[in-house]
Amino acid sequence: MLGQKQAGDYMIGLTYSYPHRFWTVTGTTAEQVTVQDADSVHLMASVWDPETMTVLPIESGVSITVAADGETTADKQPWPMVSQNMGFHYGDNYQLNGEGVYEITVRVDGMTERRLGGFADRFGDAGEMTTNFEFSRSARDNIPFTEYPDRQGGRAALDLMNMELMPTSRVPAPDDLPGELLGTGKGSDEVYAATWLSEAEFLGSGQSYLAVSVRTPYNRIPLPMMTLDGTVDIGGETVYDDSLSAAVHPDIGYHYGAMVEATGDPTVAVETIGPSQVSRHEGYETAFLGTPTVDF
Amino acid sequence: MSDRGISRRDFAKSAVAIGGASALAACLDRFGSPDVPGGTDPATLPARQHAWDQGLPTDDAGNHRLGRHHVLLLLDYERDGTPTDGDRQQVTDALRSLERAYAWQADGLQFTLGYSPAYFERFGSEPAGVDLPQPSALAPFEDPEFDSPDAILHLASDHEQVVLAAEEALKGSRDSVNDVEMAAAFDGVFAQQDRRTGFVGAGLPAENQDVDGIPDSEPVPEDAPLFMGFKSGFDANQASEDRVTVESGPFAGGTTQHLSRIRLQLQQWYEQDSQEQRVSKMFCPAHAEEDRVEGVGENLGTDSGVGDCGGDVVEQSRRDGVAGHAQKAARARDDGDTPIILRRDFDSTDGGEAAVHFLSLQRAIDDFVATKSMMNGTDVADESAVGQRVNNGILQYMRVERRGNYLLPPRDLRALPPADPS
Repeated sequence: MLGQKQAGDYMIGLTYSYPHRFWTVTGTTAEQVTVQDADSVHLMASVWDPETMTVLPIESGVSITVAADGETTADKQPWPMVSQNMGFHYGDNYQLNGEGVYEITVRVDGMTERRLGGFADRFGDAGEMTTNFEFSRSARDNIPFTEYPDRQGGRAALDLMNMELMPTSRVPAPDDLPGELLGTGKGSDEVYAATWLSEAEFLGSGQSYLAVSVRTPYNRIPLPMMTLDGTVDIGGETVYDDSLSAAVHPDIGYHYGAMVEATGDPTVAVETIGPSQVSRHEGYETAFLGTPTVDF
Repeated sequence: MSDRGISRRDFAKSAVAIGGASALAACLDRFGSPDVPGGTDPATLPARQHAWDQGLPTDDAGNHRLGRHHVLLLLDYERDGTPTDGDRQQVTDALRSLERAYAWQADGLQFTLGYSPAYFERFGSEPAGVDLPQPSALAPFEDPEFDSPDAILHLASDHEQVVLAAEEALKGSRDSVNDVEMAAAFDGVFAQQDRRTGFVGAGLPAENQDVDGIPDSEPVPEDAPLFMGFKSGFDANQASEDRVTVESGPFAGGTTQHLSRIRLQLQQWYEQDSQEQRVSKMFCPAHAEEDRVEGVGENLGTDSGVGDCGGDVVEQSRRDGVAGHAQKAARARDDGDTPIILRRDFDSTDGGEAAVHFLSLQRAIDDFVATKSMMNGTDVADESAVGQRVNNGILQYMRVERRGNYLLPPRDLRALPPADPS
């Protein structure tokens, strides 16, 4: 942990590790990013709500600037990523100019995702935090590194790290989602949980809300940046047929949702148009790339 | 210039970027005076300052190619209140001297002198018949500073010596250029507020890649005309000079200019993205899938081919997870299905940082705003898995730092014009 500070409505935590290979995703293809000779550290920023400890994926993104003696060493927008033990975060390999003290600034833009309930009036503005980092190769090289040759290829996930002070990006178990749970379905490894809210402070009369929470199967890490379409039928009539929008709610976490101008007992179909475009740490590079349709 | 050794590379990085009499002297000392075609009677030049195309060479495919070296001077008018006739005459005499000295073409000298909304405030009214708003942030994710000099001079030439000499002559530190005596200079009329420089054309980005924002692995292709490694400004994807010209009112024959400074951070672009990802983000996913772009894209001819990217960008992006920069920008077209801005942008190493001076001409600033809004891809991000910057064209690799808007009056009104010359 390099630092943790409040920045506007956000809490930002910054951690580091040795440079990692990872996979960026475009469409349904994951492409490996190899470690460059010049890469010094892997920086990871997590962003969460300090009140509810909800980890926030933010489509507008995060930038991390590294400076030493007033000169910028690196300045880029790290990739949105998931890893088995870190969950969702923003991360990338950074190239430093040798050992020494660096000033790291993390800037988080305002959220453009739909914000519901207690989040409605929050996270609209950018926040920024700065912390110092003394880079030493020996300290970096002492960060534990474990290989799992026996478990390779098996369907499992490492436990999420229990990071002191920092929340893990876990969405609620399906049974703990508010509203009427319509069911869960399995996609390409990931789990789709759909819930139907008929009563909520953000709903007007005659309105309902469909929330689809897509998460990893073992650790319940949310999978952001998916393209989903949803169809809702009530009593044989199609009352919604459009895209589902990324959204956050204190009790649902990150999900994809639709305001539906109808009430009743719904039949729902969720079509995956594009899988999660977040980058993948090792272990997740072949997972969550399918485009299933899940019926509830 | 044929000398392309290492020492030249080191020198070229600083000559135009450093500027000044000593840089010019060193440049002349080292490379001599290029043989530059002389100018003409200023009265015979086009009425439009921005009429550059007829003096630009074309590449093998037929695209116009800008002069390779550029200087932008952001200038403040030194007198309070409205300009005097004497000052106007001085500016006119200085610019006409340059026109007599150098041919109005890329291997000679081309230039424009424009004016900001701040300049026109002294007249208590906006320029007549032209849309020239104050600059503003043009995306929810940008936070630029705004340029507000009174005037902006843009000098362009294939020869470093020419842009440097013309600049020095206008500043009053050279009595003559290309054997033509300067009848006047800008001193006493304009004071320099900022100076920006750059280059565009095959070879120059690779020669100048030792800057912040480009990794030490020297990834910029030798033949790339721009830092990002691809050709741009295909004729079919540019507005014509006619399309960007103000059609009526006292400033008919003029145009508007938007100038932004955009920082580039290309470590991810070159060391993490694959060539296929770069093609999909610069052009569109279909170009990458069909392998349509060879190297820097010379094979595309005079058209980036965005017509073959598929249908609706948002629909495509929802499936592909990526939206191409060219694909998004091409949505900004007029009723006649032609682009509405004319890009004359170039790259820069000012301050040791990789950047783009994104200079574009359009009939009204609104045309730029509309095009930029398409480039933002906010609609794509809202309705698909594409992020606001991640996989959204090339937005992840750039940050807009400054914006400014200007009016480039027709040539006969370029010297300190009133807000309503009619």
